Amino acid sequence: MMEKLYLVARIADTRVALRSRGIHSVVTVGTPVEVPGAPPHVAGLFALRSRVFTLIDPHVVIGLSPVSVAPGQRVIVVEVAEHGYALLADEIEDVCFIEAPETRIAGKLLPGWARVADAMIEHDGASLLVVDPSNFITLPALKAA
Amino acid sequence: MDDLLNDFLAETAEILAEAGGAIVAWEADPADRAQLDAIFRFVHTIKGSSGFLALPRVTALSHAAEDALDQVRRGHRAANAALVTGVLGILDRLNELCAALGRDGTEPAGDDRDVIGALDERAADEDASLEIAGVPLRREDDLGADLQGWRSIRVPLPLLDSVMTGVTDIVLARNEFARMLRESGADLSLIASFDRLSDSIAGMRQSVSQMRMQRIDKLFAPLPRIVRDLAQDMGKKIAFQTSGGDVELDREMMENIRDPLIHIVRNAIDHGVEPLEDRVAAGKEITATIAVSARQSGNQIEIEIRDDGRGLSPEALVAKAIAARLVTTTEARALGPKEKLELIFRPGFSTAAKITAISGRGVGMDIVKANVEKIGGVVELRNDEGRGLAILLRVPMTLTIISGLMVRAAGQYFAIPRGTVREILLEGADTVRIDRVGGGELATVRGKQYPLLRLETVLGRERHQDDDVDDRALVIVRPGQGQSYALSVAAIHDQEELVIKPAAPMIMATGLYAGTTLPDNGRPVLLLDVQGLLAAAAIDANEAGRSQGQAAEAEAETVAARNAAQLLLFRDMNARIRGVRLSVIERVEEAPVSALFESAGRIQVQIGTDIFPVHAAALPGGEGTLKLLRLYDGQAVLCYPIAEVIDIVRLPDAVQPSAAPGLIAGVVLVGGEPVELIDPFWLMEQYSVGAAAAPTRRQPLCRLADDRDGWGDNFLAPILRGAGYRVIADGDTSDEAPDVFLCLTGDGETCSHAGGDVPVIRLRTSIAAAGPEDDTVYRYDRQALLDAMRRSVGGEAA
Repeated sequence: MMEKLYLVARIADTRVALRSRGIHSVVTVGTPVEVPGAPPHVAGLFALRSRVFTLIDPHVVIGLSPVSVAPGQRVIVVEVAEHGYALLADEIEDVCFIEAPETRIAGKLLPGWARVADAMIEHDGASLLVVDPSNFITLPALKAA
Repeated sequence: MDDLLNDFLAETAEILAEAGGAIVAWEADPADRAQLDAIFRFVHTIKGSSGFLALPRVTALSHAAEDALDQVRRGHRAANAALVTGVLGILDRLNELCAALGRDGTEPAGDDRDVIGALDERAADEDASLEIAGVPLRREDDLGADLQGWRSIRVPLPLLDSVMTGVTDIVLARNEFARMLRESGADLSLIASFDRLSDSIAGMRQSVSQMRMQRIDKLFAPLPRIVRDLAQDMGKKIAFQTSGGDVELDREMMENIRDPLIHIVRNAIDHGVEPLEDRVAAGKEITATIAVSARQSGNQIEIEIRDDGRGLSPEALVAKAIAARLVTTTEARALGPKEKLELIFRPGFSTAAKITAISGRGVGMDIVKANVEKIGGVVELRNDEGRGLAILLRVPMTLTIISGLMVRAAGQYFAIPRGTVREILLEGADTVRIDRVGGGELATVRGKQYPLLRLETVLGRERHQDDDVDDRALVIVRPGQGQSYALSVAAIHDQEELVIKPAAPMIMATGLYAGTTLPDNGRPVLLLDVQGLLAAAAIDANEAGRSQGQAAEAEAETVAARNAAQLLLFRDMNARIRGVRLSVIERVEEAPVSALFESAGRIQVQIGTDIFPVHAAALPGGEGTLKLLRLYDGQAVLCYPIAEVIDIVRLPDAVQPSAAPGLIAGVVLVGGEPVELIDPFWLMEQYSVGAAAAPTRRQPLCRLADDRDGWGDNFLAPILRGAGYRVIADGDTSDEAPDVFLCLTGDGETCSHAGGDVPVIRLRTSIAAAGPEDDTVYRYDRQALLDAMRRSVGGEAA
């Protein structure tokens, strides 16, 4: 069942269906603490309860310019390799089961999206990109290495 | 049943690891009865628990070992290498059985007659083979203590983590609550009971963090056994030492360095230590030394494995690498000396001419490196070809509590591990001079030069517009032995105990940070990697060859003159806010309370090798550390204890002077609040009485002569020094011309130094003078002696 569960959100100006495995929660953040010298997609650090999370700006991963973090912004908390991250989301729409199968990506995407998107899926009469949230976190690192 | 078995296995695994080390220690000193008893208890414990669990093979094995050891205890049997090998054989078999038990849950069928038989006295091989040199390392008190220490339970790691998280949350909530409580103006009794709660939370936080930590001793425990067995197999003599076993490490991290450590030690024995004849030929002692030591260095734990073997030969390594087709000849030529050594970290590399059964087990240095790097550590090689190799494992102290200094730069806070901070100075202080040299910056502190790094620059940030240039401080950082630099920050905030956790890999990859921490205000703070900053700034922080110009001092003073009128605000020990002119403060020291002592009715403090007077009526009680303002008038230092530094402000022009001279020179208004101004003149005067005899002019030099029994050096010299003379003891070969000789020649003899240009004072041992012509001075007549000294040396001044 978990495989069918997606978080539908608008990330980096695009509606996507995020695979829910690895997603911890959706929270709001205040002003993050900057990390000088960090890769550009690191938008800062913030604390949630007693853990420190690294805030990732998907805009940068996609190749857009970074956005500033507004206090109260909603972020998607994910866990990758025992570290906590949060993805800046433009808008969180819904968590839902999508029965339709994931299909191969048809058409040409922007290079940034082509890197992170795994598949497409039909939902409510619209085609959404299926993205594993960890792609936003690990891919830029791979590129840098 | 499963639980019982698990407990048994966990306990036995620990016992076996300890027992191996204990037996080797005992072998080195068979007369050590306590050691023998401890080993006996080890096997006895295993036998007892296995009988309860119906594990016949384990029982039989432990019984055999117990039996043999008991005979030794009763004196029926001598301890020899064969017996020790036999007992170790049993322990090995027990280990195998336990492994099988853990895997299958049942004791496998099998025959143990071979190892039990080996224990048999008749089977013992009398021509005992090589003995192991050197006494391995268990501290005596360890074994006894550990028997109790085994009482432990196993707790799943996630549970521990959740407890830790919970406690940290409580701390954050407490801080929030404390803030609200202060703002609401709650009554005292409420605050008092809250404080009590607060204290117990702090205590709890401490113990919870300790739950994750373990002494590194545990990691060292199996090593003596490994060294012994390998050395014996290979016919080498090796003395093995460990130190720093009390360093604490995260248990999880410990698991990750266990195998690398063992591998490196094996390598050292196998490849590092030469065969006996080669050692003799090289003029070395036959017995090789392998030393494993651990120490905490800043935010890292350093584990060093050092041997005095042949070291690495870069050329041999290159030849090997080419033969193994790891590099081409062309590539090899381009390698620097360091890169050549690091060839051993390449996968598929093995330094032994032939793969031996010992090291060549598929675990190479590449795996060691990968394991250590996995936990954010580094492996360093310190090679001394022909004389030995030291391998340094540096692992970060993650999930650790360290004392951190909070600093501000570019509008945000950063933490610096307190252990690496040598000194904190204000950039505007008298003792600091900053030069721009060819685009770089250099800080000179009391004649010592340090490369200057501005934190904002290293981090690639701009200075924050709100930062006051007067707040800027220099933190003198010592990232490692023989390295130091000055880190300039916008302001020093305070010092806190910080729980350090690793940052996300992409942040660690910057090399600038050693982790993250969540201080009590709940906003994450990055812990700076003081070594990494150095690398990022590409600065050579080596202390060697830095000059110490006197001219620099003079210039520093002119710079200081410009910044003279600043006021350091602080809270003193009575919680009053006071101020003192910044220019009289040499620096702020942090000294442990235990460094303070009372002597001759005065409180003094020992800082490093110096002793300074402290302005305090009584010794402060309690523990921990004390902040001391170090006042310096150009000659003497006085320490003034304070609770905390508050701020640095411009000294207001309007000072309301106090009526009578005293500690308080007057009152000024700072930000609308009255602040008492300390009078450094009065203060220094109070404490300069004893130091009055130390004048600025050159101290006269007095040489003791014929001080045959050391009386002069032991009894007389301290008095003379106290009176402002420098004293050269008899027998000191210094050829500086003395101003006066003090002859301790026996009564009636003539002093060998009499007759020169230098005045001579002769001391006699008898209280009565020999006659009216006798110009000698009775040696216990202090006043007469000092008078005579004054007449001889500084006549007119007296």
